[in-house]
Amino acid sequence: MRILLKKAHIIAPGQALNGLIRDLLIEDGVIRQIAGEINIVGDRTISRENLHISPGWIDVFAHFCDPGYEYKEDLESGAKAAAAGGFTEVMIIPNTHPPLESKAQIEYIIRKSQHLPVNIRPMGAISKDLEGKALAEMYEMHRSGAVAFSDGTNPVQSSGLFLKALQYVKAFDGIIIQIPDDSGISQHGLMHEGLWSTRLGMPGKPAIAEEMLLERDLKLLKYTESKLHFTGVSLKKSVDLIRAAKAEGLQVTCSVTPYHLLLSDENLQQYDSVFKVNPPLREGDDIMALRNAVKEGVIDCIATHHFPQDVDGKQKEFEYAGEGMIGLESCFGVLGKALENLTVEQKVSLLAVNARKIFGIPIPEIKEGSAADITLFDPEISWIFEENGIHSKSKNSPFKGSKLKGKPLGIINKNRFYTDSSF
Amino acid sequence: MPLSVKHLLGIKDLTLQDIELIFQTADNFKEVLKRPIKKVPTLRDTTIVNLFFENSTRTRISFELAEKRLSADVINFTASASSVKKGETLIDTVNNILAMKVDLVIMRHSACGAPHFLSKHIQAAIVNAGDGINEHPTQALLDSFSIREKLGDVKGKKVAIVGDITHSRVAMSNIYCLKKQGAEVTVVGPPTLIPKYMAEAMGVNVTYNLREALEWCDVANVLRIQLERQNMPLFSSLREYNLFYGISRELLDGLHKEIIIMHPGPINRGVELNSDVADSKQSIILQQVENGVAIRMAVLYLIAGKKAEN
Repeated sequence: MRILLKKAHIIAPGQALNGLIRDLLIEDGVIRQIAGEINIVGDRTISRENLHISPGWIDVFAHFCDPGYEYKEDLESGAKAAAAGGFTEVMIIPNTHPPLESKAQIEYIIRKSQHLPVNIRPMGAISKDLEGKALAEMYEMHRSGAVAFSDGTNPVQSSGLFLKALQYVKAFDGIIIQIPDDSGISQHGLMHEGLWSTRLGMPGKPAIAEEMLLERDLKLLKYTESKLHFTGVSLKKSVDLIRAAKAEGLQVTCSVTPYHLLLSDENLQQYDSVFKVNPPLREGDDIMALRNAVKEGVIDCIATHHFPQDVDGKQKEFEYAGEGMIGLESCFGVLGKALENLTVEQKVSLLAVNARKIFGIPIPEIKEGSAADITLFDPEISWIFEENGIHSKSKNSPFKGSKLKGKPLGIINKNRFYTDSSF
Repeated sequence: MPLSVKHLLGIKDLTLQDIELIFQTADNFKEVLKRPIKKVPTLRDTTIVNLFFENSTRTRISFELAEKRLSADVINFTASASSVKKGETLIDTVNNILAMKVDLVIMRHSACGAPHFLSKHIQAAIVNAGDGINEHPTQALLDSFSIREKLGDVKGKKVAIVGDITHSRVAMSNIYCLKKQGAEVTVVGPPTLIPKYMAEAMGVNVTYNLREALEWCDVANVLRIQLERQNMPLFSSLREYNLFYGISRELLDGLHKEIIIMHPGPINRGVELNSDVADSKQSIILQQVENGVAIRMAVLYLIAGKKAEN
């Protein structure tokens, strides 16, 4: 297959062609030619005003629910959602049933996703059954292709086990991912503890639940001299702690969800379970601090925390509703609203470059002779995120019907071209 | 003038005019309840379901009596929230009942916001009879109505709410209701039973000293210790609670003025209230119960949107 991209703005931070406008010819999945003008007839010719391309985007924390919860999402539908959101690569969490806690489970994911247009990289569980009691076989999972290790939505509570996990992965230069949440403090809460939880009569999750686990983990990280990535950081205080730890030289990195950059606890006034997430939506000051931390580089990358819930999982009393929201397809448009003063290049660094550096994944190159792993997008266009355009099996997004800014237009990866847009 | 709301989900949503309208309507019904024939045909063609997902005796009886005094057709549905958690969804349960042509749903539920959630998915009007630790609006209305009856007005009065504030929907609704009417509110209890952001979020005074609160107030509304709603031990023992937060005769006699004692019931005698206080002439606990029927008649009447026929 021959694909011709016309007048594409190349956004590839750190690469030779960054910032140029060029035609690209992609043939059988390889970038054959890049020039000011190419006049070859392709099977597909993509010509569109304000067409931007960048190395394919990567999401570092998504739930594809497969195996076990395929009614919410599976690898195929998850990959479609990712492609529609402009992602060519997704790191998925091990909170499946059974959990991704052994070589067999990791190999299942890798084998089953081989034919998909998106690279799916499974995380292995830190602990057996995600129970936080005994270490899972991380070394072997690493050998089988596990990209990192995490207990996903069940952050490890035991200090002793977490210390051992940080030490254990050093054998193969592995990295641990943790949502900072001390469940002993937050477990009965339904939303962020603050003025709104008090007014709404809802049990709160105190901010210190996040601060305490984060501080503890940083101490363990310092002791073990290992590598740790926090995801879903949601507080000003968390950002301050991570900034200080980085300054001290610890190998710590972090990611934020798009929704923590835009929504606050005020959104819960109608007890709408679509806003039920963990870590919970925080306060206005936290949003501003997170945005600044992204700009400053304290926050390294974006994690969608794409957590599908079917209609029945959400359409119930707030207390009983499942946590999380889908996020792959709305990610770029939400970032466009939340991070208005970031340049396109900075956004591409957040979405395509930094995470790959952290997790040791090669960054796709836009140059002649390279395999095409490319995201096509328009950073300026405003559009409505419609429910009937959602590719995920689940539709639990608070952004349905909202106007977003910046739209993914498609991906080219593994010799496949995936797009919904007409060119 | 009708109410500004379709459902009574919480006092939070009501205007001062709504509260006054409910009180004026309750005045009329209270008069009806003193007649030899205590029944009016007002809601003759209205069917009401009392949907209780959490145990209740007095609130359910009070609602049921109010419904019957208004000649409504009444059905009672009792289920534990846990059985609903496992099986049928709340929407299915309610829609099954509504399919039998029910006009009004009175609901008590252990989950905060459950009636708000339901109101977005069903046609019938809803009266919240208590949702988790959020609100219990008719209790707050009858409490304020009782203060108004006893002291002439609620505006400018000082009310202390005593006890387990964190787990009390009665406290939340009372605070909203009293503040809207211009009363001053102090909450008092052990620090483990008062939400951290109470003062800032709700505009009330917070103290951990019972005597100080009682010296300050005109009315003390004493809450039941909600052991069943606490997830972990929040105070040492009932004995110690009684020593420092229970109201005794001796404590009341030591105050410089005579205050009014209220309690939403059921009382844990010897815990939050000693018997010589609960049964004293300062207590208006039984008047609260009596007013509960009149207030609920007023709420049902106004929510059902019918014209008085008496």
